[in-house]
Amino acid sequence: MEETIIAYRFDRLEETLSQLNKANCAIVAGGTDVMVMHKSRRGVPPKITKPIIFIDHLLELKQVNQNGNDLHIGACCTYSELLRDPLIPMPLKKAIKTIAAPAIRNRGTLGGNICNASPAGDTLPLLYVYNAKLLLRSVNGDRIVPICEFIQGVRRVQREPNEILTEIILPSVLEEGAHVVFEKVGNRNADAIAKVGFAGYIRTKGAVIEDVRFAFGAVGPTMIRSNEIEKKLLGKTIPVTDMDIAKVVAAFDKIIKPIDDQRSTAIYRKTVALNLLRYFLTNSTHIQHI
Amino acid sequence: MIKFNLNGRKIETDAPPTARLLDVIREDFTLIGTKEGCGEGECGACSVFVNNLLQNSCLIPIGSIDGAEVVTIEGIMESDQFKILDESYSEAGGVQCGYCIPGMVMASAALLSQNPHPSEDEIREGISGNLCRCTGYNMIVEAINMAAKKGDGLWKKQ
Ligand SMILES: Cc1cc2nc3c(=O)[nH]c(=O)nc-3n(C[C@H](O)[C@H](O)[C@H](O)COP(=O)(O)OP(=O)(O)OC[C@H]3O[C@@H](n4cnc5c(N)ncnc54)[C@H](O)[C@@H]3O)c2cc1C
Ligand code: FES
Ligand code: FES
Repeated sequence: MEETIIAYRFDRLEETLSQLNKANCAIVAGGTDVMVMHKSRRGVPPKITKPIIFIDHLLELKQVNQNGNDLHIGACCTYSELLRDPLIPMPLKKAIKTIAAPAIRNRGTLGGNICNASPAGDTLPLLYVYNAKLLLRSVNGDRIVPICEFIQGVRRVQREPNEILTEIILPSVLEEGAHVVFEKVGNRNADAIAKVGFAGYIRTKGAVIEDVRFAFGAVGPTMIRSNEIEKKLLGKTIPVTDMDIAKVVAAFDKIIKPIDDQRSTAIYRKTVALNLLRYFLTNSTHIQHI
Repeated sequence: MIKFNLNGRKIETDAPPTARLLDVIREDFTLIGTKEGCGEGECGACSVFVNNLLQNSCLIPIGSIDGAEVVTIEGIMESDQFKILDESYSEAGGVQCGYCIPGMVMASAALLSQNPHPSEDEIREGISGNLCRCTGYNMIVEAINMAAKKGDGLWKKQ
């Protein structure tokens, strides 16, 4: 006997939230991770044990707007939609362009990349350096959590079963003097899962570093970022000296602990990660001040 | 009952909401031009248009596309654009075993309708989600290039 599969697709976010509050459901946005994860034999629908709730059509989750300095991105915006949106910062577009191929980008969502919490999620290093905040909504109201607290480990996020990630907030994306980069090293362009992802952020006033942030992807269970190491560079002037660069690189050398897997070796990953960091510190701090 | 539009016809199906669009179009509607390669979004053999966007039908639970417009390779075969692609693929020698071709043609049509004069890099990017085990891609790239030229003026969305 076939079991009946329960699936919901409401017109409004509100109804969706009240259903989520009644029963624990599997949220499906673009489904590009969910469908692969639950794949069955050919011709057999994927096995998802919980009732399913589709959210990718909800207009409330597809808006992008600038609110003062903050950019609010609806969790169910697809990658293709974000690539077309003039408000999305260039480095984020660059990261998105490295994701899969056009057909996947027409379905996969930014919210899905975050909630899936893969160590190789390509938007994550940048979202970490942007200090992204996540707006989670339930029938009980809203809460805002920094992305680094929300993502707790491989495929582990701090979401209550009745909550939906509704918005990704990038604070102060328009700050003057800020320079942001994203780099991904993978096998080939399309459909390549990152071997190493890197995002760097630097903001200077005159020649003085006011803020600097680094995040590494695919070299640990979650993104690697260290406020402590970043602090070492605050107040220094650019270009950063070779000695300071060496210190920062050595500090990350201690905390980056990648693994071997079928895509790459630990040693290779670490070398690439540290090279990307060194390159960023050498180059970005030069072009900064012209 | 899930309802959507398939190649211009209104259809209904009692397949479960998690059923893959790929299985529904192939098995319930015997539209077998759409192929299954990997079943995981990697190969593009299952490419269709959903609301005019290129998508992998192996990753789409039909419950998520209630009310949508789905177009398969069969749905574009009567169009002038298809005829030009068909000719160009044959002329350029872009078809060997043919398994990847329905998906390639869908990706080609999607690309050209957004970008009627693509550069070689843009062509490669446009078909980057479509794997071909036979041709080594160069002939396919050439076919798309040829179709862009032959069909000049035809590609913009009607
Ligand atoms: C062929 C292929 C290539 C890929 N290449 C890349 C790549 O290069 N880089 C990369 O980073 N990823 C890649 N991916 C992975 C995937 O496409 C992305 O992670 C995508 O962003 C997932 O979004 P989605 O909407 O499809 O998520 P879904 O599969 O719908 O959901 C993923 C998870 O997040 C949860 N979820 C989704 N949205 C919400 C929300 N708003 N609130 C609460 N929970 C939510 C779901 O319950 C599920 O657990 C690839 C996938 C495939 C199939
Ligand atoms: S069968 Fe869908 S992408 Fe390979
Ligand atoms: S022609 Fe054989 S797979 Fe492309």
